[in-house]
Amino acid sequence: MTRVQIESMTKQFDGKPPATAVDDLDLDLEEGEFLVLLGPSGCGKTTTLRCLAGLESADTGRIAFGEQVVFDQERKVNLSPDKRSIGMVFQSYALWPHLTVRKNIGYPLKARKLRHGLADGWVEETARMLDCEALLDRYPGQLSGGQQQRVALARGIVARPDLVLFDEPLSNLDARLRELVRTELAELHGRLGFTALYVTHDQSEALALGTRMAIMRAGRIEQLGTPRHVFSAPASEYVAGFIGMANRLELNQSAGLWTLGSEPVAGSVSSSGLGSLVLRIRPDDLHLHLPGMAPPPGHACVAGVVAVAAFGGRHLDVVVTVDGQRLAAEVPIGPGTRDLEAGTAVTVSFDPACAATFTPDGALVPRPVDGQPPASVKVG
Amino acid sequence: MATITQAQASTAGPGFQRVRSIASSRHLAKIGPLALLGVLAYLVLQPLYRLQELALEDNARGYRTAFGSETFAETLGTTVVLALGSLVIAMVLGTTLAFWATRLPRRLGFLKVVPILPIVLPSAANIVAWAFLLSPKPGYLNVLLRKLPWWDHLQEGPVDIYSMPWIVIITGFSLTAFVYLFVSGGLRNINSELIEAAQASGSSSRRVFFTVTLPLLRPVLLYGGGVALLLGLGQFTGPLLLGRNSGVDVITTDMYRSVSQTPIDYAAAAALGSPLLIFGLAVVIMQKALLGDSARFVTHSGKSFRAQTRPSKGAAAGIATFGIVSTGLPLVALLIVALSPFWSGTIDTGSFSLDNFRKALDDNAIKAGISTSLTASILAVLIALPLGFLVANFLLRAKNRVLRPVLDFLVAVPLGIPAVIFGAGFLLTYTRPPLILYGTRWVIVLVYVTLMLPFTTRMQLSGLVSLGTGYVEASRVSGASALRTNLRIVLPLMRGTMASTAALMFVLLTHEFSASMLVRSSTTQVMGTVLYDYWSNGAYPLVAAIALIMSVVTAVGVGLAILVGGSDVLNKL
Repeated sequence: MTRVQIESMTKQFDGKPPATAVDDLDLDLEEGEFLVLLGPSGCGKTTTLRCLAGLESADTGRIAFGEQVVFDQERKVNLSPDKRSIGMVFQSYALWPHLTVRKNIGYPLKARKLRHGLADGWVEETARMLDCEALLDRYPGQLSGGQQQRVALARGIVARPDLVLFDEPLSNLDARLRELVRTELAELHGRLGFTALYVTHDQSEALALGTRMAIMRAGRIEQLGTPRHVFSAPASEYVAGFIGMANRLELNQSAGLWTLGSEPVAGSVSSSGLGSLVLRIRPDDLHLHLPGMAPPPGHACVAGVVAVAAFGGRHLDVVVTVDGQRLAAEVPIGPGTRDLEAGTAVTVSFDPACAATFTPDGALVPRPVDGQPPASVKVG
Repeated sequence: MATITQAQASTAGPGFQRVRSIASSRHLAKIGPLALLGVLAYLVLQPLYRLQELALEDNARGYRTAFGSETFAETLGTTVVLALGSLVIAMVLGTTLAFWATRLPRRLGFLKVVPILPIVLPSAANIVAWAFLLSPKPGYLNVLLRKLPWWDHLQEGPVDIYSMPWIVIITGFSLTAFVYLFVSGGLRNINSELIEAAQASGSSSRRVFFTVTLPLLRPVLLYGGGVALLLGLGQFTGPLLLGRNSGVDVITTDMYRSVSQTPIDYAAAAALGSPLLIFGLAVVIMQKALLGDSARFVTHSGKSFRAQTRPSKGAAAGIATFGIVSTGLPLVALLIVALSPFWSGTIDTGSFSLDNFRKALDDNAIKAGISTSLTASILAVLIALPLGFLVANFLLRAKNRVLRPVLDFLVAVPLGIPAVIFGAGFLLTYTRPPLILYGTRWVIVLVYVTLMLPFTTRMQLSGLVSLGTGYVEASRVSGASALRTNLRIVLPLMRGTMASTAALMFVLLTHEFSASMLVRSSTTQVMGTVLYDYWSNGAYPLVAAIALIMSVVTAVGVGLAILVGGSDVLNKL
């Protein structure tokens, strides 16, 4: 367990033109922190992790584990993976098929010459923590996917390394198992407090596991903060799109009137004074109203037509078109929404406070300071 | 110096020592591949260089003699006709058999190994057997054919195995197995959903074959055809055993004559090989350029090829017929001759005995040949296996833009250049300083290692590729050094691949004939060359016995391969 520092790390891959996977990245992991790197495929998150592991060599920059410099391009330091105090959990588990579970878990202890760990029963202890004690004498081929993943987790943490690296460890599990192992992992980290870097493209994993989370884009960190903060205040439109604000509303203002496409928008939208804006909003923050039903006060409203309404159990997944733009809404099933079907004319409303506001090129428009009501733009 | 180091160490702190140790280990990592490259370059290129050196001596006298002789044009023509003719036969037969193999009824699935058996039969034994069957007068099949009413007036024939067309046909038969291997490999790699998608889109089976399957197979057919063409150009065993007396000469047999019969002319022999050498190198270079990085070809998942139509009994019958003709008949002929006191067109079961086997196993020359074959093959396997492992590892993991393609090219060269040329090159390199190995087993071992480089590298490379990077990376991040990772993780997981690679190399080497003919000496013979000497002397029953003994040795090798590597070992070829 230690602090990990990455300073201005860059990594390019050969090609025509060369692809920059990590671009002048600075990142600090506090001692005992569980940091999640979130981003789409190709954003450089896995490359960052592999550079920390020593499986890839960065082109420039510096990486230090506590006092120990493991990579420094200027001083030509580049420790091989086995010389770094790490544990790693792979997406494919990578359990060696010719070794028993016991030998798989014990391997890092032997390789790192931690004889006292072997003698003190670290293997059994870790296996117990991960609920795979009964599997110790089996071979990986005899285990289910979930069991294999538990063994891989045990192997990653058994040697009590400075840093545990997780490379999308849950993405090969089915949805139910994924949630189960996710909570177990959170519990394990709470108990052991190891420093961890966790790479994923699944926002729910990032929100549930991270002490902090970093959203990456094209080799750089777009936003770094606690899950709660990122979730409520995305720093850019890219981040907003990535943490579930799936609806993108391009609004234009002319002569004091806001329009979405050619449809007028009623109610207060923004006080920024800009001529055009992009709003990002989550599907469950959109409300639908049949004709004759009044939207809640303070909501912005626009008229639309239902394109699809799909049953989702406790809710309906509805797609509404507003002048050709498609908006996704997740609405609870109730008296006002039961009769929604393709072709139904509805009013779409939302609370502007739930939306994040950006300029057309994706930069955040700061929210008005609390206590000062936004100057509203009324549409007749 | 020491003081400077100390001063730097004290200012740079503990990190400095680490920097130095890393620098030196990097040094080692650079020297290792270079040493490997040096060894391989010497093995592969020095013999070829020596040939050119000899041929260009004396103002290129070798070239003038070889290309100036009046028979050269005819020899070259015969070589090309033999190669192209056998290529056509092999392509048609091999592709047909591969398609039939996909349509075998489940119960008869084992038949799919039948077309590979001609590779497993020693080529010298196979050719000799065909002579027993189709030689104009006493050939068993000819005797049978002469019983037919329209041929009953003939004194000999109707087939003359010693004539050009039949040499082409027999060679085509032996190349069929290679084409079959490539095409069935290609078929296995076609995702069956592609075929099913075409069928579901309304294509008939015929249309699917021509619009989807065949275009997908094109690279495989091109590659397999290229390999078969190279093998056809380098054919030696057939023309030597069947064509010598009837005047059917190809480049390889001419080379052999130049180094073995008076007037011996090494320079001319060296020059004769050049057309094949240049063509072989061109094919290897072209293939590397077209296919690029061999590590790119990662085995892909997806459902493999399944029969597009219902299983066909006709397909099974076709494959069985091919098996009977290409393997069954020759084996029966060998058995009959080996059991008989002499070879004549009639079969007298009353005179059958095991005398020839007894004689063969008592004969000192034959015993020595068997022993040399076995020891040279085993030694060559023991050297080629780790060598191939190192090269495969380097090809897979290294990123060096110069070393890597050079190494990749070097190990592919022995596949493109006929074994006879390598034999000649080794003969002419190791009969003089710095390494005079001629007359010892070591020259045979070295030429065997060189010939096996493509096999040992390619098979282990594909083994490593299908292993993936995960296991190795997991070991490194667990704190294991590269050495420990190789010993504890890679080697155990590669055991099956390595065992089957070893067994297959053993099989190929125990019946190696072409290169052995050139590097043998009167005191150092292998099984194939002993067989050739007895064939030249007309001791046919003994020849048949030796051929069968060779086949048994090979069969034991194949059996071992299947035992350790699983039943699809032959498919890995």
